[in-house]
Amino acid sequence: MAKLMPKRRLENIGLGITGACVALVAIVVIALIFMVAQQGLTTFFVDGIDPIEFLTGQHWIPEQDTYGALPMIVGSFAVTLLSTLFALPIAIGSAMFVVEVAPGFGKRVFQPFIELLVGIPSVVYGVLGLYIINSLMRSIFGEAAGTGAGILSGAIVLAVMILPTITTLSIDALRAVPNQYREGSYALGCTRWQTIWHVVLKSALPSLMTAVILGMTRAFGETLAVQMVIGGVERSMPSGLLDPASTLTAALTAGLSNATSGSVYYHALWSLGLILLAMSLVFILIIHLIGKKGAKDNG
Amino acid sequence: MQGFDMSRRTFLGVFGSAAAVAGLGLAGCGGQQAASGSGAADAALSGSISCSGATSFQPLVEAAANDFMDANPDVSVAISAGGSGQGLSQVADGSVQIGRSDVFAESKLEADQCENLVDNQVCIVGMGPIVNANVDIDDISTEQLRGIFTGEITDWSEVGGTAGTINVINREAGSGTRATFEDAVLAGATVPDTFRPVAEVDSSGTVVEQVAATEGAISYVAFNYFETNDQIKALNVDGVEPTRENVESGDFNIWAYEHMYTRSDEDESTAAVTQAFIEYMLSDEVQNGAVVDEGFIPMTDMQVQKDAEGNVTPVA
Repeated sequence: MAKLMPKRRLENIGLGITGACVALVAIVVIALIFMVAQQGLTTFFVDGIDPIEFLTGQHWIPEQDTYGALPMIVGSFAVTLLSTLFALPIAIGSAMFVVEVAPGFGKRVFQPFIELLVGIPSVVYGVLGLYIINSLMRSIFGEAAGTGAGILSGAIVLAVMILPTITTLSIDALRAVPNQYREGSYALGCTRWQTIWHVVLKSALPSLMTAVILGMTRAFGETLAVQMVIGGVERSMPSGLLDPASTLTAALTAGLSNATSGSVYYHALWSLGLILLAMSLVFILIIHLIGKKGAKDNG
Repeated sequence: MQGFDMSRRTFLGVFGSAAAVAGLGLAGCGGQQAASGSGAADAALSGSISCSGATSFQPLVEAAANDFMDANPDVSVAISAGGSGQGLSQVADGSVQIGRSDVFAESKLEADQCENLVDNQVCIVGMGPIVNANVDIDDISTEQLRGIFTGEITDWSEVGGTAGTINVINREAGSGTRATFEDAVLAGATVPDTFRPVAEVDSSGTVVEQVAATEGAISYVAFNYFETNDQIKALNVDGVEPTRENVESGDFNIWAYEHMYTRSDEDESTAAVTQAFIEYMLSDEVQNGAVVDEGFIPMTDMQVQKDAEGNVTPVA
């Protein structure tokens, strides 16, 4: 069939198919943003909840019609930042070892190993966290830890989950540094450590930042594992790392099964979704800005 | 054009054999039906309905639905989970025929959404407070429970136990179990914003595990979870043991109906099946069979009833 077709027609069919793919993706994205925004904004425009109060309110008590998202916003940011803090040194450290010290071992053993971690479903991390991390918290901190569920447990589980993402991307970032840079540094008489610290890490910095932001995006959006270990307390602000809390995603999933469509609670949950959407747009924006700056710096 | 011919032949072939299989299937069904004749089987009953909502009594409905479908081979009952809220909104907007709920529809839906809903109460679930096995009390009063779950009482010594922090584990906001417990125990008292439980979890299974693992923990679950872990202990409330008999007599007050909401204006194509399934749920076969087996309390022996506002009155 194809042989009989004129070349121009074939071109046009190709153009049509690929163009349709692009259009489909665009439609899905636009429809998604539109739906979340429409439902999420109903809370403010129809149900009459003040958006400022929604964002800064310190209590989320649906049965009393009190909707303040701050406890979950704080919870989400706390676990995201803490887990990045835990994972980052380990990720960069192992990336340096794998790229600069033992490349053969890195390619053959370490990378497949770390990629295995990416494939593990999050519910497995959640169950392990629930049984290991939470009981560890109870035995370390005793009564102060309560059930062991809290921000710290959530952050530890998330750190393990985002570790492979950050490590793999950091390895790629360090590998992308041209070898001439290293040779130049050695020629000037620098040691290996000086070369890594002053030359390799510095020139890989924009890509490393992207790795960190992508890790943070994963942590911010993770739902199931965190929900299982964080304690799910939304009603007021957490006051410490051992305090049970909740995240935007966890509150959203836990709430949806109990909320009836059309109720204020239901709309308020969509508004949480809207906050999540806005946050992921911010993360993407940051990645683009870093990319642009990196491109400029490298000429 | 030969390609088209081929495909038409294939099409006819596929369709023909499908029709043949369907015919055989139907014949087979007819034979079975004549042979079995048990349950609430209506000879002409056919169609498919779906039922979504509360997970708490889903295993019971699934067990009943399997027997119902065995007795009525042309009927299919699709059962899905999703929580009371989803069950109610889906039956209200007509996307399912039956919506399961742990709570009265009035407490979750707007009045105009409830208009055409029919409340079928299929069984009763009793709930009681549970504590970690190391807590050394066996009895607690409703007032003490109210104090604990509003944050006024924070130490076991205040309720007659050995000193130690009370770790309150709650169900998540909007949970039917939590609504039932709070309706019966709080008696209208609101929980202050400052009260913080040590965890709010989204299933009774997790509640049991966390209470078992946490020193000084207290929470509440349905009766059928009491025996699932030996590190938890069910408490008597005001000296009354949480048992089926005490719920039936009205002595034990923490219980709720399990509802299967249907629509009075349901489409004729499915209404007969829905009605037959609800009748089957209320038949003796299920009430004294699956209901009791799954740890629920049948409707048949209740001497008291509750209305949507939580008022308890003797059955006339």
